[in-house]
Amino acid sequence: MGSHGALKVVGRRLLQAAPVIVLATFIVFALLKLLPGDVAVTLAGDNASEERIAEIRRVYGLDRPFLAQYGAWLWNALHFDLSRSLLSGEQVLTSILRCFPNTLLIVGMALTLALATGIPLGVAAATRPDSFIDRTVMAIASLGIAVPNFWLAMILVSVFALKWNLFPATGTTAFSKSPTDAIYHATLPALALAAGGMAEVARQVRGSLLDILSSQHVRTLHAKGLSPQIILWKHGLKNVGVNLLTVTSLLANRMLAATVVVEAVFAIPGMGNLIVHAAIQRDFPVVQGVVLAMVIVVILVNLIADLLCAVVDPRVGR
Amino acid sequence: MTKENQYKRGLSRRDALALATGSAVSALVGFDAGAQSTPKRGGVLKVSANANPSSLDPATGGAGSDHTMLFPMYDTLMEWDYETLKPKPGLAESWRFSDPQTLVLALRKGVTFHDGTQFDAEAVKFNLDRCKTEPRSNLKADLATVASVEATGPMEVTLKLSQPDAALPGILSDRAGMMVSPTALKANGGALDRKPVGAGAYTFVSWTDNERLIMKRNDKYWRANERYLDGIEFAIIPELATGLRSVIAGQNDVAYSIPARQKPVIQRAKNLTVVTGPTVYCIQIYYNWARPPFDDIRIRKALNFAIDRDMFVKATLDGVGEPAYMNLPSKHWAYDPEVAKLYSYDPDKARALLKEANLPQNFGLELIGYTDQDSIRREEIIIEQLAKVGLKAKFTNGSIAEMSAAFLKDKKGDGLLSAWTGRPDPSLTYALMYSKDSYFNAGRADVPAELPEALKQTRLTENIDERRKAFAKVQRLVMENALVCPIAFQFELDALGPRVKGFKPNLLGKPKYDGVWLEG
Repeated sequence: MGSHGALKVVGRRLLQAAPVIVLATFIVFALLKLLPGDVAVTLAGDNASEERIAEIRRVYGLDRPFLAQYGAWLWNALHFDLSRSLLSGEQVLTSILRCFPNTLLIVGMALTLALATGIPLGVAAATRPDSFIDRTVMAIASLGIAVPNFWLAMILVSVFALKWNLFPATGTTAFSKSPTDAIYHATLPALALAAGGMAEVARQVRGSLLDILSSQHVRTLHAKGLSPQIILWKHGLKNVGVNLLTVTSLLANRMLAATVVVEAVFAIPGMGNLIVHAAIQRDFPVVQGVVLAMVIVVILVNLIADLLCAVVDPRVGR
Repeated sequence: MTKENQYKRGLSRRDALALATGSAVSALVGFDAGAQSTPKRGGVLKVSANANPSSLDPATGGAGSDHTMLFPMYDTLMEWDYETLKPKPGLAESWRFSDPQTLVLALRKGVTFHDGTQFDAEAVKFNLDRCKTEPRSNLKADLATVASVEATGPMEVTLKLSQPDAALPGILSDRAGMMVSPTALKANGGALDRKPVGAGAYTFVSWTDNERLIMKRNDKYWRANERYLDGIEFAIIPELATGLRSVIAGQNDVAYSIPARQKPVIQRAKNLTVVTGPTVYCIQIYYNWARPPFDDIRIRKALNFAIDRDMFVKATLDGVGEPAYMNLPSKHWAYDPEVAKLYSYDPDKARALLKEANLPQNFGLELIGYTDQDSIRREEIIIEQLAKVGLKAKFTNGSIAEMSAAFLKDKKGDGLLSAWTGRPDPSLTYALMYSKDSYFNAGRADVPAELPEALKQTRLTENIDERRKAFAKVQRLVMENALVCPIAFQFELDALGPRVKGFKPNLLGKPKYDGVWLEG
């Protein structure tokens, strides 16, 4: 693929991104407003009168029409102003910049772990179909998919943190402050998150590798007398690449969402934590900001995956 | 003596402790915990906090979960007694009602705010005026009876009241009494949500949302020699089970307001100390008595007779609580044992009342509740107990914010299974729930004719005996008219790490760390 092809992919994706962002933030905003519950009630405190709640709505502009509120938010967001949390008064952008690295570290570590273990397992299984190794790998993979990550998280905490005291049970350190300490804190959450991913990667690699290894052109390669090693590493895995990239991007997006639960178990102040608290209290500027950030991340991840796919398989970008 | 009997005569503190913690627990701590050893200076106390503060400005915040983080930074004009919540001197050395509508405060000399501003009569006037006028202040209702505040001397403030209000000393031991530096307020546009400056034992260092609140020792504090910690760090962990795990793992020293179902987890952890104590946190069913079915007093009463409160405490609170027969627990100074006798468990009476009410065939109560594990457990027991007297009940559940608003604001459902977290002065509790126009009177329905006057009587005098009598009348009116179905008081359940000494629970259920020190 030439630079022209890459530009085309980027351009197309960015054009698609704008309506996705508007639609996603609008739907979330609408849902927050449609649901019962009212941030004004939270703001008014424990012993609020109805007048007080009405007054708060006026003070915070919550009495304006729905579309006016969304419009104002979007207009400010276009000017890179995500406004402030209604509850804590902190700039939403500040909260996101603070929380996002924590989430990114966990997801990054989990993804690395999932790929580093999933690919070898998948290859091992695919090259020896129906063997003991294959069946063991598939059993592990099924287990990994079946086990909910919050449950695994609690088991990991009770064994590695509470019983053996090897890892911290909760909390985090900023990566910028101490990378080693940050990784130390992120290990258990990343493990909990990685289990499902590892299983998924192993299954996908095994499946597509089996497909390729039993295909006609591989049979031709065998007939030409190429060694099985070269067939596997050069022709087999290259063709698994596109599949693997797609799975990885899906996995990255899914892991970002799964941090909502894992962050709660480990008390990690990441994006999941941020949006859960904001949503419960209907702190919509924060919810909107996090959704916006997440949508952008998902779009970016997909874009990178597309570009890499085009590199691995020139047929894709055309 | 069986546990049932203990409950019927009212629990003593020792009984409550024994009941609540059992013999399997490694250590028990009561109000006099740590008294035998000498406190030692130094160390930073690490607390697992249950919620991000709504604000660190006492006037603009609103959540009951804030107090435990506000008290260390803000001293209050009055303070409350840990065991009874009776007001006692704080930044105000003494106070008197020169007449029922005039409250005179004599202020403590030599106190400074964290920014060096002198604490004096002008500062108090500035604070109280701000609570009444700042647009974002949530304290206007608390100070509604205060008509004007005058500095009548350099260290004397006189509050002129629009009507007699003996509840004010209690109110001034809560948010409204937390004194903020006027200098800092003026410099920051009237509110200090994120940069608190008080006159308390600890000064603000930093607050990272949903993560950490850090404060350090204030060496200029007027009682500095009675405060032993170098600082307090609150790790904000709203998931209570996670917070408890952080204490078991030794990352934090204190976890508070732990749900009773976690008691076995604390007991299994050998290194923890369990602390329990009564609180004013009342689990109850709020009624909307403006419309059927709860406009019929017989049905309201029937629920009160139908619920076996002793069983409820055992089953849902693991014994870490006591049955509630009114909105005050048995340890409270205004508790009335006579009113407590009104609704002992009596399913036959409940059945008779329901029969008399002649409900339509297939009638079912539409109740509202929350989705958390504890609420669901409570609902199951209530459904079961109501079924025993032939009353069908169904719960619609959602998040706390959502469902409370649905019931209290949008007037959905017949009743709400929730809790009342209590107030330092009981007159607030009763006024906020049982006034015609109050938010917690979901139907904004009429209250018994004598109730407003009876409530006013509770605020007439500061004499505890007379107030107790006045409250007995209020409680009787509320309970005889069955305006609520109180079920149980949830006791405080805290877990302390091995270093923590001198921690005392309090009746308000909002931990203070005044006498706490760290060992080793």
